[in-house]
Amino acid sequence: MTGAFETPIAADIVFWLVSVLTVGAALLVVTLRDVFKAAVSLAVSFVGVAGLFFLLQAEFIGIVQILVYVGGVSILIAFAVMLIRDMAGGSLPVRKSQGVAAATVATLFFAAIVFTSYSADWNRIDQIDDPAAVAGLVGAYTEREVMVNGETVRVVEPADPSDPAAQPGVLIDSTGVVGTLLIREYLLPFQIIGLVLVASLIGGLMLMRTRSEEA
Amino acid sequence: MNLENVLLVSALIFAIGIYGVLSRRNVVTVLMSLELMFNAVVVAAVAFARFTPSAGLVGSAGTVEVEALRGALTGHAFAIFVIAVAAAEAALALALVFAMYRARETVEITDAATMRH
Repeated sequence: MTGAFETPIAADIVFWLVSVLTVGAALLVVTLRDVFKAAVSLAVSFVGVAGLFFLLQAEFIGIVQILVYVGGVSILIAFAVMLIRDMAGGSLPVRKSQGVAAATVATLFFAAIVFTSYSADWNRIDQIDDPAAVAGLVGAYTEREVMVNGETVRVVEPADPSDPAAQPGVLIDSTGVVGTLLIREYLLPFQIIGLVLVASLIGGLMLMRTRSEEA
Repeated sequence: MNLENVLLVSALIFAIGIYGVLSRRNVVTVLMSLELMFNAVVVAAVAFARFTPSAGLVGSAGTVEVEALRGALTGHAFAIFVIAVAAAEAALALALVFAMYRARETVEITDAATMRH
């Protein structure tokens, strides 16, 4: 099963294309004077990041990214730009000293992250040699129940290679796995995040409310 | 496409976001740069979920429990939480921008350095 985790050349090409699109759009966001054009390129950058998620075999995160960011946050920002008259003339130009300082901090941060990520000795998925684990990760597996110390445990084992449904490929059903994770391991954070969302939306409404005596 | 390359792209987006937050003077553009930084972090989390094995999958002989497979996608759950927090932040921050615009007729950060009336 060696090579099951290697990405095909075509995926590499698509990855670099999507990366260039995403980074280019992100650069436009921070350089364009026109705030509305910046908001549009922010939406393009969000779509690019969604593409990265699909390439990383995270379909569910990719779809959430499109729903929440492209469909929600971008629209919210576009509305803000349109409602605030002040923005019609564009953003004030960046002060030279401030721009240099910001670029320096950003470059140092970038250098630190890149140095760390290339020099660290990450645990690699290629190091997995257990055939059952490989089969589980590439989706070519079946589940079976076995008895361990009197308890029933569901285990994974490589599927019959002749079964066309069990060919190595995308991690099958990552959506279902993420759903199970959220309602088992992370149930409390999941509930709290809902509370945070409701609280922030109500807080936003309270901030926006015009009192009747003012209006 | 390997872990380092994805982390490189993620670091680039994050650095661009830092530059935007520190240099721009329009509050809404600063918010957009913040969203870029959130996105970069989520990309890194999903990349780690894709390219590094979870503890339950290393050194197991012969059989793998289904629970261990679930652990391989912890990064995805992390991504969901970050996205939810970012959405809440965007809604609240834009409400603050509107409140600031109504109170002082400006959205430039330097004009709003003090929170007094």
